[in-house]
Amino acid sequence: MKDEILLDVQKLSHKFFPARKMEVKAVDEVSFQIRRGEIFGLVGESGSGKSTIAHCIMNIYQPSGGKIIFYTGNCQERRGFFNKKDMAVQEANSIDVCDPKEFRRHRRMLLAKRQIIFQDSSSSLNPRKKIREIIAEPMKIQHIAPVRGSLCAEAEYWLNQAGLDGSVLEQYPSELSGGQRQRVAIARALAMKPELLVADEPIASLDVSVQAQIMNLFLQLQKEHGFSFLFIAHDLLAVKFLCDRVGVLWRGKLVETAPSKELFENPCHPYTKTLAASIPVPHFRLRQEGDVW
Amino acid sequence: MVRYRLLDGVKKVFLFLFSIFLLSAAVFFISRLAPGDPLVSYYGERVERMGIQERVWAEEKLGLKDSVWVQYIRWLGNAIRGEFGISYKYKMDVIEVIKGRIGNTLLLGGVGFCLVFLLALLLGIFCAWHENRMPDRIVCTLGTITSCIPEFWLSLLFIFIFSTNLKWLPGSGAYAVGKADDWGSRMEHLILPLTVLVVSHIWYYAYMVRNRILEETGTDYVLLAKAKGLNKRQIMFHHCLRNAIPSYLSMAAASVPHVLGGTYIVETVFSYPGIGTLSYESARYKDYNLLMLLSILSGAFVILCNMAVQKGAERDGR
Amino acid sequence: MEDRFEIVGIRKMPDVKLVKKEKWYQGKPVFFAILLGMILAVCLACELVMTKDPFYLDLQHCNVPPDGEFLFGTDTLGRDIFSMIWYGGRVSLFIGIVSAAVSTGIAIFVGAVSACAPAWADALLMRFTEIILSIPSLLLVLFLQAVFGENTVFSVSAAIGMTGWAAMAKVIRAEVIKLRKCEYVAASKCMGGSFLHILWEHFLPGFMPSIMFMAVMEIRSAILAESTLSFMGLGLPVEMVSWGSMLSLAEKAILTNDWWILFFPGIFLTVTLLCITRIGEYIRRKF
Repeated sequence: MKDEILLDVQKLSHKFFPARKMEVKAVDEVSFQIRRGEIFGLVGESGSGKSTIAHCIMNIYQPSGGKIIFYTGNCQERRGFFNKKDMAVQEANSIDVCDPKEFRRHRRMLLAKRQIIFQDSSSSLNPRKKIREIIAEPMKIQHIAPVRGSLCAEAEYWLNQAGLDGSVLEQYPSELSGGQRQRVAIARALAMKPELLVADEPIASLDVSVQAQIMNLFLQLQKEHGFSFLFIAHDLLAVKFLCDRVGVLWRGKLVETAPSKELFENPCHPYTKTLAASIPVPHFRLRQEGDVW
Repeated sequence: MVRYRLLDGVKKVFLFLFSIFLLSAAVFFISRLAPGDPLVSYYGERVERMGIQERVWAEEKLGLKDSVWVQYIRWLGNAIRGEFGISYKYKMDVIEVIKGRIGNTLLLGGVGFCLVFLLALLLGIFCAWHENRMPDRIVCTLGTITSCIPEFWLSLLFIFIFSTNLKWLPGSGAYAVGKADDWGSRMEHLILPLTVLVVSHIWYYAYMVRNRILEETGTDYVLLAKAKGLNKRQIMFHHCLRNAIPSYLSMAAASVPHVLGGTYIVETVFSYPGIGTLSYESARYKDYNLLMLLSILSGAFVILCNMAVQKGAERDGR
Repeated sequence: MEDRFEIVGIRKMPDVKLVKKEKWYQGKPVFFAILLGMILAVCLACELVMTKDPFYLDLQHCNVPPDGEFLFGTDTLGRDIFSMIWYGGRVSLFIGIVSAAVSTGIAIFVGAVSACAPAWADALLMRFTEIILSIPSLLLVLFLQAVFGENTVFSVSAAIGMTGWAAMAKVIRAEVIKLRKCEYVAASKCMGGSFLHILWEHFLPGFMPSIMFMAVMEIRSAILAESTLSFMGLGLPVEMVSWGSMLSLAEKAILTNDWWILFFPGIFLTVTLLCITRIGEYIRRKF
């Protein structure tokens, strides 16, 4: 199960045209795989194309080149979840998300299986909706019958999963703190029981103590629900703590992919080396022993 | 840069012509679709006594026999050469008909427009000066009421009071019979329509001026001016008004169609021989050629005004 | 010790009179709302109020000035103006509300589609909107009526409704373009929300506040348009009673000096428009 590939990104490129006769390659021939039940981290400085990759995977952008193949494999345990029409769809084994035709054919299934968490929780939750409505929205769209009786009970269950209690159900996003809002976004994503969860810098806009809480939550949820997790960040410590494997992006190119431990202990690419060296070391004496300083 | 400007200009002109073309097509087809007999406006009562043959002959003469498409293409071809056909009702070249009337409308509309905007500015300043005190409140209340009175009813009321009962001022026409060149008579006939125009439109704009100035008085630079010891008049006229005027001017340009529409209604009620009465008649009696030219003229005028506003907004660098 | 030092923080504060709490009705157009409500209620229940049949041509009592029997007098056709006011008010208000609903619907559709459509379709739709804006609305209504054929209450309100949406559509487009950039819309799309779902769940609550005022004002301008058209003889015919069609007799009444024919429908029209304007202004202030 662990070695089975879920998402295969092949030579993905995306260009932006900010002005006439001007071309910016935001993502340049990036290839990587995400296995089932794995936490994959993408790091890089701002503007290196991390978010663009996430948006391409989620079909928010149409990439200008390359393939993103989504393997559906055996999802028999979800049989009760979809209606009969979708069962036929699930027979397809691999779907190229970048092919508009293929995407449209499997749209409903794909949209349920991939979920995204955005960086800024204040703008990714509609300020005019109550938390209950926000969490119930995907279930309403996908016409999923609530397993726990009502949509409200379902929302409360998933909120509990994300570490919040039911008292926030009737509140508006603006009444919650940043960490709480991000938990709501997580609950909304989880409520769809995704196979792939993409988190686009989910902790960047949070306080340090809350960051730790959220990361622990991610670890725990991942263990519990077993989804594959694409974690995008520019905080190396977080990536080191959370991820099984890490890809390093530099100016739109993927310069290195390696298991997390290996990458930070033994970086190959010069950019990765500087990155690894720039991780703040918590203790003064440790810092002296390090050879970079 | 020059080249870019030139390109932009050409694009604008093209866009303008395209809009006019679409407008003419829309008006042409809709007016042809509408039921009603254009022959009535050409032959009047005689239509009812016409035999079938006579009718066919008459329709052929006016070019109404062919399909609508053919008619439109023919009209377009003539229009490009500057021929817009004859008016069925007046039996004259439409351009001549409009030429005779457009002066009156320009006089009424132009003077009315200037008056509305000048007086609105003054009234707005007056209200802002007395912000939230008695004079401001009275003017605000009165203004809201006047802006709610339907234009045509106000015209009727004025005619009823000043013309029928008091007999101070004439209530219809543009000049007394046989006195077309007498400016005094013309002025006399303009007073009532102009008053209606001003009364029914002024408050909308005066209120905007008032709010715009009051917005300015809340800003920091006005506070600074106060701290420097400038008095209220200097602040009001040198600082607030100066910043409020550009947006007011662009709004004035944008509201041309609004006032134009008002002129049309006023003209009709006062039977003032202008474009408004003419469009009303031509639409009512299916005077196709006249209607086409009138719609295109007023449409072009409005589109030009909108473009001017856009240009102004682009120029205004802030 | 105590007399040498002064405790700074806990000074006795001078008694401040509590600012009078604002009454609930302050800043709200209560008077106008009640007035409008009354007019609406009486118009709706006009059968109870009418003293005469508003359609009955009492040819023996033409142009009777207001008296005990005919409270507001009779018009040139001998109909009782008092009864006609209430019956006609129902028609006028109905036309106002229906046409405002029609134009708001069209505006939401055109505005939202235009904002979300590809650039060429957006440009085309906006150009179309501008053309609608540039044709004098009077002509446009006239055309539309011609297309609908006979003038009935529904055809008039449809015609007025189909001409008044352009300005609102522009505002909605601008608002939706602003909202479209929000991440929660992208999130909703990722969850599989269709265009209609996003329009209903996210865009509509977003631009509703800025539209409310325009929608209320649209009722006002629709009532105004109906009365103007009917007055000119282009809207409802004289036989169909509305405030506008009642005024179409006023021009003749001026010559005979029958002030009541001119006065009463106009004053009701003005008061109704004033109430709606006041309420609209309150809505604009509030949102």
